[in-house]
Amino acid sequence: MKRKLSNSDLEADHPEISTPKRPRTALSHSNGALNGHAPNLSPLLEEDVGELSHQAPNGQSTPKKSSKATATPLKDSGLKTPTHKSKARSLFATPTKSTIAKTGTPSRMRKADQSAKKKSARVLFEQDEDSAWDGSEQLAEEILQEDEVAETENEIDIGAEIVTESVEGDKIEEGKATDTKAPKRRAGRPKGARNKRSPTPEGELPPHERYFFQNRAGTGKTSNTTLNKVSLLTHEEYFEKMAQYTDPCQQEKEYLLSIHRRSFPQWLFEFEEGFNICLFGYGSKRRLVHDFADWLYQKRSVAGKIPPIIIVNGYTPGISIRSIFATIATAILGEELPSKLGAQPTEVLELLQSALKARPADEEPITVLINSVDAPPLRRAVNQTLLARLAATPRVRLLLSADTPNFATMWDISLRDQFNLVFHDSTTFTPFTAETNVVEEVHALLGRKGQRVGGKEGVGFVLKSLPENARNLYRLLLTEVLTVMEDGHQSDDEAATGVDGGVRPGEDNGVEFRLLYQKATEEFIASSEMMFRTLLKEFHDHQMITSRMDPSGMEILGVPLSREEMEGVLEDLVLA
Amino acid sequence: MDPVGQEDVLDLSRDKSPNQGAYVYQPANPGKTASERPAKRRKVSSAHDQGQAAVSQIFVPLLNGEENLISTQLRHDCYKQIWSRQEDRIQAILEDVDAGVLADVLSFVRDNTPETCNGCIPTGLVTVGSNVSSLSRLLSRLNDQLLSNDEGGVVVLESGDAPNLKTTLKNVIRAVITNTEGNDGYHEFLTDRSGPRLLSYDLDLLHEYVQRKGTKKLVLAFRDSEAFDPVLLMDLLSLLKSWLDRIPFTVLLGISTSVELFEGRLPRACISLLQGKHFEVQDAGNCVDRIYESLQAGPEGKMWLGRNVTSTLLEKTHDYFQTPEAFSRMVKHAYMSHFFANPLSVLLANPSPATLSHPVLCEAIRNTPSFRMFCEDLIESGSPENARNLIESDETLLQEAISHVEIGQQSMRRLFGAIGLIFSCLQHTQSVKKTNISDLSVRGLSGDLSESQVLDDMLATMRTFDSEKMGRLLDTLPEAELTHLLIEDIRADFASLVGAHARSLPLRSEYNINSSVMKTTVVQQRILLSKGKSNLAKRDLEYTRIVDRLVGAFQEYFAETLIQPQELFMHEAFLFDFRNPLKETFTPRPRFAIERALANPFDYLVSSADTSAARISVKQPPTAILYQLYLESGALVNIHDLWQTFYSVFESEQGDACDERLVMALFYGALSDLRSFGMVKNSRKKTDHLSKSVWIGL
Repeated sequence: MKRKLSNSDLEADHPEISTPKRPRTALSHSNGALNGHAPNLSPLLEEDVGELSHQAPNGQSTPKKSSKATATPLKDSGLKTPTHKSKARSLFATPTKSTIAKTGTPSRMRKADQSAKKKSARVLFEQDEDSAWDGSEQLAEEILQEDEVAETENEIDIGAEIVTESVEGDKIEEGKATDTKAPKRRAGRPKGARNKRSPTPEGELPPHERYFFQNRAGTGKTSNTTLNKVSLLTHEEYFEKMAQYTDPCQQEKEYLLSIHRRSFPQWLFEFEEGFNICLFGYGSKRRLVHDFADWLYQKRSVAGKIPPIIIVNGYTPGISIRSIFATIATAILGEELPSKLGAQPTEVLELLQSALKARPADEEPITVLINSVDAPPLRRAVNQTLLARLAATPRVRLLLSADTPNFATMWDISLRDQFNLVFHDSTTFTPFTAETNVVEEVHALLGRKGQRVGGKEGVGFVLKSLPENARNLYRLLLTEVLTVMEDGHQSDDEAATGVDGGVRPGEDNGVEFRLLYQKATEEFIASSEMMFRTLLKEFHDHQMITSRMDPSGMEILGVPLSREEMEGVLEDLVLA
Repeated sequence: MDPVGQEDVLDLSRDKSPNQGAYVYQPANPGKTASERPAKRRKVSSAHDQGQAAVSQIFVPLLNGEENLISTQLRHDCYKQIWSRQEDRIQAILEDVDAGVLADVLSFVRDNTPETCNGCIPTGLVTVGSNVSSLSRLLSRLNDQLLSNDEGGVVVLESGDAPNLKTTLKNVIRAVITNTEGNDGYHEFLTDRSGPRLLSYDLDLLHEYVQRKGTKKLVLAFRDSEAFDPVLLMDLLSLLKSWLDRIPFTVLLGISTSVELFEGRLPRACISLLQGKHFEVQDAGNCVDRIYESLQAGPEGKMWLGRNVTSTLLEKTHDYFQTPEAFSRMVKHAYMSHFFANPLSVLLANPSPATLSHPVLCEAIRNTPSFRMFCEDLIESGSPENARNLIESDETLLQEAISHVEIGQQSMRRLFGAIGLIFSCLQHTQSVKKTNISDLSVRGLSGDLSESQVLDDMLATMRTFDSEKMGRLLDTLPEAELTHLLIEDIRADFASLVGAHARSLPLRSEYNINSSVMKTTVVQQRILLSKGKSNLAKRDLEYTRIVDRLVGAFQEYFAETLIQPQELFMHEAFLFDFRNPLKETFTPRPRFAIERALANPFDYLVSSADTSAARISVKQPPTAILYQLYLESGALVNIHDLWQTFYSVFESEQGDACDERLVMALFYGALSDLRSFGMVKNSRKKTDHLSKSVWIGL
């Protein structure tokens, strides 16, 4: 709003110097009309207002006709056409009076920017279906730069409240506007910025209107810039930078958390009464959940009872519902846990249920806290069904936290019934540091294949957890691949493909399977092919290695890393 | 604030296991738990003098923690007592509702064998409609019945248990055996048997079990039949059919849609395997009305749900599918909220004023609107001393409050009695559209029943009743209310009148349409219609007098009982009427919450700094900034431009001090948030573009 006002004020200031009287009256006139109608503006009334302000300047200024007559026929028609069009579309935009208003102030006509006129005429000529909305807006926009009335009129389209505001604002500004003030405001809006089609509707549209506005045909005109020039973040850099960041809202977030903590007794009461709890809202609730576990533990252990609490991180990739049940069973049974639990989650669940039934009634119930129950690993309907059964088990208390906006769609009525949930809004604003792999997510979103998932860090991490000879094998593989690459660079065609492929030379240059096996046996890394394949499978599972068949049918093993990254990993391996 | 909180910006310092899937909680080392101190000390310090007793308590002392510990305990006990009584009632109703179907199904299961079904599998089709929970209730009670008579058992199968035939069979067999033998019994059964070891999905196992136990009926219940894979169902049923001569299967199919639709999905060959009967479970809505009535109108009711809560509850039942259990849970939560969070609820526990005497509680009572109203009334009615006494003396106040709670409860009971009376009268007077008792209760609780159309219509219709109808109406009135109604002598007169004119029944009152005559006169070519009373017989005139007295008594009664509950002094103690925590607790709006958090982060983050100046500012969390930019964009967003805009937000405020890479890291975090919320996805239309998939408020 402010940006607009400033400009129109600027425009208003200029004519004041040349023709002090005329535009003033015209302005106040139309403003008055506007003010009278503004509070109860309906689309119909808009038209009326248009007519009103149309007539006012007409009656005042006859010279307009002559100036109009002198204009070329082309321009003439150019100015006329919108009248009809806009009438037909009066719901959305009323450029009618803006054009008239423009012609209606002859003194300004003289000063009017010729190029703007041409442009508006052109736009109107080229007007087609999809620019229907914007075209008129654009025209109004151009004229708006010359005429304040047009400005305020145009506003009507958007919302009655704003109109009154802006009109009043105009009045005040009119009185106050001084030249010293003007340049300061100019910075607010770059000249011609409004000529672009804006996807943002002005003012407050109701949600559905906003949807249609943003989805209307032909608005998909976005710029063609790409991210090629921007160097993307790596995992390392991301974490390094995030460590430097100080959160401006730290105190507020802490306060928010403390408010949530205050409802711990309430949660406990709900637990006691057989409800299960679901926390939702924006932000990671992991810390809150952990705090609750702390609180619960303290409260109960003071009373001499140690409650078994199980915490589940639903976002952990590869987490299975069976492992959750198995953990709970371990917590209940402790030493008595049978050595074989059964492969099916239902079996474990039933074991769990019968164990719970056998427990004496005065023992503490089992509390299960599940972070991110709507995370992809647990999201599937089968898992949710099983969780619901767990929730329905007597003497099991379940606290879920859900992060996504539509998590409730996971549960149908019978699941909801089994879960027996009460919901609490626990917006924390805490970033999802553990829940999401930010860099990976973003790169997947950007469709950047070049950035290897995991990258050097990921590979290094996996290697740390692997046994000695697996690390040795990977070292061997890297050495071989790097050697092949160096060899390759000497022959021209190899080098060419290397440059073209660019991103992942490690995949194109590979080692032959047999060769690698032979070397591995020589270095006592693998004694049999079976063992060798087992080691390779581990790499496959972590996507640290690629394999393809070359035309002669030989299996070629490669590494999906850039050369620098490979060297880095190799360095770490040798040094470690 | 919290010093430890400041320290762990990345939220990793205390929680050591963010990457572990599932683990057993171990308390952090004692040094670290210091961070829990403030929260804990707050609780204990208030109860410091009471010592250990406080620890085991679930309720928190209210009134800034200054509430008397005894009152806290009283509130809890009172809740337990009141709710357990209500719960028993609900259970009784549920059992009663199910009883009919249960008996039918049970007799069906007992009476039918493959022989009576022409060699087909005996099948019960149970349509449950919206009342999904009823089936599990039904099945568990059926199971109990069969188990207690050693006839067999019920195995419930859900679609989730049946991914393929092998697993399904395995699950069936295990469930059957564990049903009687327990989990260990099952394993023993598998291992301790002579002969070759059978695979766990071999129906021979079940056969052996049936022989050993002498099972007569094995009911296999498919809880959500529609969700099963038809092919699998076909295989399973044909397999069961072929074992039917050895294992006495009976199949129960739970159907939520309709039998026809379900049948349409199955192949003919499958249907020809089944023969049986159709059972229908009563609709949930009916059940809910009954539960509501018994909760509110019970003779020894102590607290009531107000109009707002009632309408929220009923709205939910009407607008969504909801089971009676879910309904009663919501009611339970309302009761819980009342006793947990309202210090005045302690007055419901019939405490002696001595145990209560606590200045803070008295202060709380004096702050209630109803107290203010009560005092104003006292002053208006010319007893300012009483009002002054109430304000100055805690003792008087407590006495008065306790007695008024009782008076209020009495009037609430009578209010519901009156509603019940209206309801039973309406059964006679309304012919087409029946008003149900919950609707009446909502109107009664809001206090506008006394001047309502419904009541006027009802009384008008009653006037026109002839003696037969009136007799029936009087006979069906609830006994409890008749004592309040004071119409005993009227009834006696009525009875004697009817007795005296037993031959010329029915008697009609003068309001009856048959008793008035339409006169048509032609005056100067115009037709004049005029109503006149036909000459009534003496007995009819007598009857009319009785009717007038009766209606008068009703009117008087209603005027007295249909009060406005919000006007009762101390209604805060026994009337729970807060819509909001209840509604948000059971029908959350998570998407709205997230959108609001991101669009207006300072709604949540109460900030001391002035935040109203700029809409988007660096002071907001990065995701909120990006989300607001996202809101302004069109359906397709250029990532580069989005990034530039995001950056410029920071650049314009921080100037040269702005670290581009740091901002980019924030941008990454924000973008990944939006992605995990499903708000953006990669667009194939253009390179480096996102397509927007969620519009705020839609």
